[in-house]
Amino acid sequence: MPTQPFDAAMLRADFPLLAAQPDLIYLDNAATTQKPRAVLNAERHYYETTNANVHRSAHRLAHAATEAFEGARSTVARFLNAASSDEIVFTRGSTEAINLVAQSWGRSQLQAGDEIIVSTLEHHANIVPWQLLAYERGLRIVAVPLLANGQLDMDAYAALLGNRTRLVAITALSNAIGTRPDLAAVIAAAATVGARVLVDASQAVAHDVIDVQALGADFLVFSGHKAYGPTGIGALWARTELLNAMPPWQGGGEMIERVSFAGTTFNRPPYRFEAGTPPVAQAIGLAAALDWLIALDRAALAAHEDALRLRLETALLARDDVRLVGTAPNKGPLTSLAFSHAHPFDVAQFLDARGIAVRVGHHCAQPLMDAFNLSSTLRISLSAYNVSSDIDTLLAALDDTLELLA
Amino acid sequence: MMPDRDTLTRQLKSTTGWEGKNRLLVQMARELPTLPASLRTESHRVQGCESQVWLITHWQDQLLRLQLDSDSRVIKGLLVLVLAAYDGQPRAAVAGIDFNGWLAELGLARFLSSSRANGLAAIVQRIRDEA
Ligand SMILES: Cc1ncc(COP(=O)(O)O)c(C=O)c1O
Repeated sequence: MPTQPFDAAMLRADFPLLAAQPDLIYLDNAATTQKPRAVLNAERHYYETTNANVHRSAHRLAHAATEAFEGARSTVARFLNAASSDEIVFTRGSTEAINLVAQSWGRSQLQAGDEIIVSTLEHHANIVPWQLLAYERGLRIVAVPLLANGQLDMDAYAALLGNRTRLVAITALSNAIGTRPDLAAVIAAAATVGARVLVDASQAVAHDVIDVQALGADFLVFSGHKAYGPTGIGALWARTELLNAMPPWQGGGEMIERVSFAGTTFNRPPYRFEAGTPPVAQAIGLAAALDWLIALDRAALAAHEDALRLRLETALLARDDVRLVGTAPNKGPLTSLAFSHAHPFDVAQFLDARGIAVRVGHHCAQPLMDAFNLSSTLRISLSAYNVSSDIDTLLAALDDTLELLA
Repeated sequence: MMPDRDTLTRQLKSTTGWEGKNRLLVQMARELPTLPASLRTESHRVQGCESQVWLITHWQDQLLRLQLDSDSRVIKGLLVLVLAAYDGQPRAAVAGIDFNGWLAELGLARFLSSSRANGLAAIVQRIRDEA
């Protein structure tokens, strides 16, 4: 099927922040993306026309708000190709979604001696909630090592799987070095020992088409703000039968069926896991972001982002004072760098002075940095609205900066 | 000889623009001796997530003495300012030093907003805790 060339420059005009700051070169998209006008308008429109509390009052406005909120849930379900919107639990983001699974599924299902496998690629958000559970329950956390290029060591993974393995918690796309693990292989291997799989799609969500039914995982989480949506909203997808068996993790309004001092019965999923007034406007903003993404030619978008990454990495590979950290095949659109004689923080300071926004640090993935024997890298992460001149400006600024810091 | 507070103030104020100030900080970093590896220990390390910073304090004749280092040259340049502000001060004077105010006056306020990440806030807190 012929596709239109992807017009990132035109897309850029859809982003008020970028339009207002034409000199800004924003290359920190893995931290958070900018928001298209459609998202800002959706939230504003909701507050101007529909605002009311959801699932409660019987008046017309409350009805409309509930419809809009539940409509947002359906949009998330459609975006992930979930079997039903009942499989979508709104959360504050990936972090809260993982904590939900750890506290609800984990505490009710896991016992001393059970093992959770995580990969060395994981963000702290997909490590620490499991550690907290492990301290409490006497579980073992086992880490899958990496190959030198940042790929998952699949032989080591196969060797770690065993009859005590209850869960494999794995990223779909590493926020620090861009590796996309072979999820199909990871999930198939986990199934041979009956382990559940949680996929952290925080980074993948803006770049990859996600189909939870085809994937075959058990849980999947993402944050809206990394996929052009607002902060404060994200989602957990889980299979209905898993959600049905999971106890509540936070108590309050919305999550109950009936409360009495003799005992309380709980609402059905997903409401059982959404205590209190939910972030309604944010959910509507998220749905607008996902609709905006769905309307794009996703294959052309992915090709555009990958072409930018290759343009950057090809130029950098020619330099002997720059090292690419993470060179796995089929990487996502981000590039992590170490320098032979400059500190990433210093490089970023000089780039910032020229209006180029990148991230330095351990990227909340300290075990990964330890594996590469680094304390920090400089990360360039790309998005739909980046253009090839962003890369060329960055490369020129890097030339000057590395000379200055030589 | 390390440059004193007045010299640093004059130099930084006469340099405009972020890039120029960054260059100056990198130059200033050259004045600060490198801590030997034996002193770059975990107990001397101050937590920041973007770069590593080491701080050693002791009192000599009732005056605060500092040794500082960072693996980042820009941060090391800022440490020259920390040194100029606090090194050689009597205990009673430390709490009264408005380091953040001075940074702002020098046009370096942007390092303050990110000071939790770059370790500067932790350095200044540790020094104040010493006094
Ligand atoms: C791979 C990955 N997982 C989890 C998170 C946590 O996301 P949030 O802070 O939005 O909950 C991030 C965000 O940096 C991430 O990149």
